[in-house]
Amino acid sequence: MNLKELLHKHFGYNEFRPGQKEVVEQVLAGKDVMALLPTGMGKSLCYQLPGYIFNQPVLIISPLLSLMQDQVDQLKKMKEKRVVALNSFLDVSQKRMALQTLQNYRFIFISPEMLVQENVREKLNSIKLSLIVIDEAHCISQWGFDFRPDYLRIGEVVGKENRPPILALSATATEKVLGDIERYLNMKEPYTYIHSVDRPNIHLGRRIFQNREDKLDWMLEHVSKTEGPGIIYTQSRSKTEKISERLLQLGIRCASYHGGMETLDRQFIQQQFIEGSLDWIVATNAFGMGVHKQDVRQVIHESLPSNVANYMQEIGRAGRDGKDALALLLYSDADEDFAKFVGMDDLPTEGHVDRYMELHFQQLQPGMMVQNGEISETAFRVLAYWMHQLPAHEVKEKLSSMKTGKIKAVEEVMELVHAKSCMREKLVHYFGQTLNAKPSDCCQCCGLSIENIILPRQTTEKNVQEESFNWKDRIKNLLLQT
Amino acid sequence: MIFQQILLEIFHKFNGERTISAPYHLLKGKRSGQTIQDVGIYHLHKYFGVLPKLARQTYDKAISALVEEEILIVLQDGFYKLTNKATSHLQENKTLPFDGWHYRGNEHLFFARLSLVVQSLSHQSAKQMSFIPIQKDEQVQQWVRHFLKTNHYQDGHLQQKLLEEIVMSLENLNVEEEAKEMVMLRLSGYKTAGLTWQQISYKMKLSEMDIGLIYISTLHKWLNEILQKKDEYFLLNQLTEAVRVNIPLSGSASQTAELFKNGYSVEEISRIRRLKMSTIEDHIVELAMNEPEFNMEQFVAKADIQRVIEAVDETHTRKLKVLHQMLPYLTYFQIRLVLARGERFES
Repeated sequence: MNLKELLHKHFGYNEFRPGQKEVVEQVLAGKDVMALLPTGMGKSLCYQLPGYIFNQPVLIISPLLSLMQDQVDQLKKMKEKRVVALNSFLDVSQKRMALQTLQNYRFIFISPEMLVQENVREKLNSIKLSLIVIDEAHCISQWGFDFRPDYLRIGEVVGKENRPPILALSATATEKVLGDIERYLNMKEPYTYIHSVDRPNIHLGRRIFQNREDKLDWMLEHVSKTEGPGIIYTQSRSKTEKISERLLQLGIRCASYHGGMETLDRQFIQQQFIEGSLDWIVATNAFGMGVHKQDVRQVIHESLPSNVANYMQEIGRAGRDGKDALALLLYSDADEDFAKFVGMDDLPTEGHVDRYMELHFQQLQPGMMVQNGEISETAFRVLAYWMHQLPAHEVKEKLSSMKTGKIKAVEEVMELVHAKSCMREKLVHYFGQTLNAKPSDCCQCCGLSIENIILPRQTTEKNVQEESFNWKDRIKNLLLQT
Repeated sequence: MIFQQILLEIFHKFNGERTISAPYHLLKGKRSGQTIQDVGIYHLHKYFGVLPKLARQTYDKAISALVEEEILIVLQDGFYKLTNKATSHLQENKTLPFDGWHYRGNEHLFFARLSLVVQSLSHQSAKQMSFIPIQKDEQVQQWVRHFLKTNHYQDGHLQQKLLEEIVMSLENLNVEEEAKEMVMLRLSGYKTAGLTWQQISYKMKLSEMDIGLIYISTLHKWLNEILQKKDEYFLLNQLTEAVRVNIPLSGSASQTAELFKNGYSVEEISRIRRLKMSTIEDHIVELAMNEPEFNMEQFVAKADIQRVIEAVDETHTRKLKVLHQMLPYLTYFQIRLVLARGERFES
């Protein structure tokens, strides 16, 4: 059977999407591969198809638990039973069970924390893997927007002689990051596939305001007049709730979404959004991963994203169906200060370094800083990693350069806000690529009429909250589907 | 605010004899000897562990609100006093049917199973057997798979039977219709997602905290109904497997209980287990609280039990120190035992 027939047999597709065939062919030939494919372009197929061709398990290292869960769910939905996720959700006996039968799985998903555990490493070394996949590989680079210290140690674990080929996947990586990935993973002359980051059907709008109230008023007005489905990104949990309440009062079917909500609530929102019973989601950047919705028409940034890569990934959730979509960047005076502040929150301070040393000398667990609420979990992860690597004063230098980096990242976003020439060109250049063609209604600077892209809002369907039925009807409808 | 009412009721029962933090530990279900004994002494079984995830910040905020409304006064030593305003609030209090002592968060396990069963059966009715399970816990998934198989879901009759049981059992519950709706709104199925807490809160015009409390107490009441009439609810009864805690003893206390039942004395157990006498006594108090058959007269004479009860009535306090001063010939251990079992003498 040739590749196309195999694609149809296992996935039911007739055609490859751009890049998939090239990447799969190189993987099957045993080469190391680095693939840069925009979100929603079928990255996972690049290792799933080889998984059905090889007779040995594929190991997928994935940094985010929610992402891992989503990929496992998707595979299981396709009736794949030989899939397992090794992560901190497993209890001791579940983990033991999974490790005992590890060689029988087709797809083994693993988090970086698990990968560095001694017994897991031993087990992985004892079985023959066909391929090692590093998902969201930009996390390995401290220049990447989502740096994960644990990811640096992947190299130590998988960088052996006679290792299987490595496939590094990312949606957003600059040239600098690509270099880091290659180096840290000891990749051998990797085949590199880089798809253009440009998404011609996403039109880039921008509005600048004097103050926050004007911005909010304009946005509420815009949302009540134009068509969804859409996502509004804002920076804080409480803001997602406040904005969604204002929209609800305007009769718009919307809900808030943030990382502080419980798992079940988050699934309800995703399901409602996908089914179409919600038109708008007001979210922090926790929303988006694993939301497979093709017809998102608008993505609005109510607050400034902390870097260009984040911005790219978030607007990339619009128009997956290939039809016109609108990305709106809203800015009011001094928004960048807040974005910088939010970025700093994820970084440890000099004070944290001193405190870490203090606890260390008292022979106490520095981890208690997290429990005491002195530092965020993400920040502590970064702190603990560097405290193991470097002496305290060098850690402080490191942190200060990371801080500068974060500030610079926000300033790069500000270039989009201030741009007088094509915003699309600026975005593409940021990733070291060149833009070949501009669509009509390209961006705010080239000329953009929103009404050419987005239809006016028409429907006034009921909010799910307003539907009334008694509890007996609800359970009856659920069970009997009448 | 239901949450404030609950706090008020707990403060009232503690009678000013515990600190301002005691209700927090109680609601969180802290596994310390003190909290567990207080449950018995002050008859607070229903509220034990009903909010395991309660943030201290949320709690402190509610306390500040009580202080601001002049319902509660915080004293310098961390204790508190209820005002006259509190008394009138207490009278109009509608209490929710919690049974925290017997479920301790396990009500969520029951609901997780139920929601996955309903989701599966809903998809089966729609002839759509491929879906993403709403419950991610592998153990819950396996449990539900087994449940569906042993109850022959392939025959296609399970939906109707389960529906009848749910409707009948909920109709029998003496709670507001809104509370039943709340629980049903947290279920999802084919092309019907559940509602989030925020959405239910918006719909019912109640705070999220209050909705959470009504939801948990309704689950407790529902579980009690199902477990009391096991024969009538064949399917729902299966979903309650290992949900109710029948001998709620801490690990160490249960080892002591084992030895005690085998006839060893407190001194012997202390020696065998190499634990302090006072620790073993804590365990015995815990055992006395939990075992209806526990015979107290092996530690305290009948007449002395009566004296302790009279002393409590007279002084309106359950403070050990005060009671000990009145009955100096009894040990603290003996007094604690009587207090722990207090409710058995009340009626």
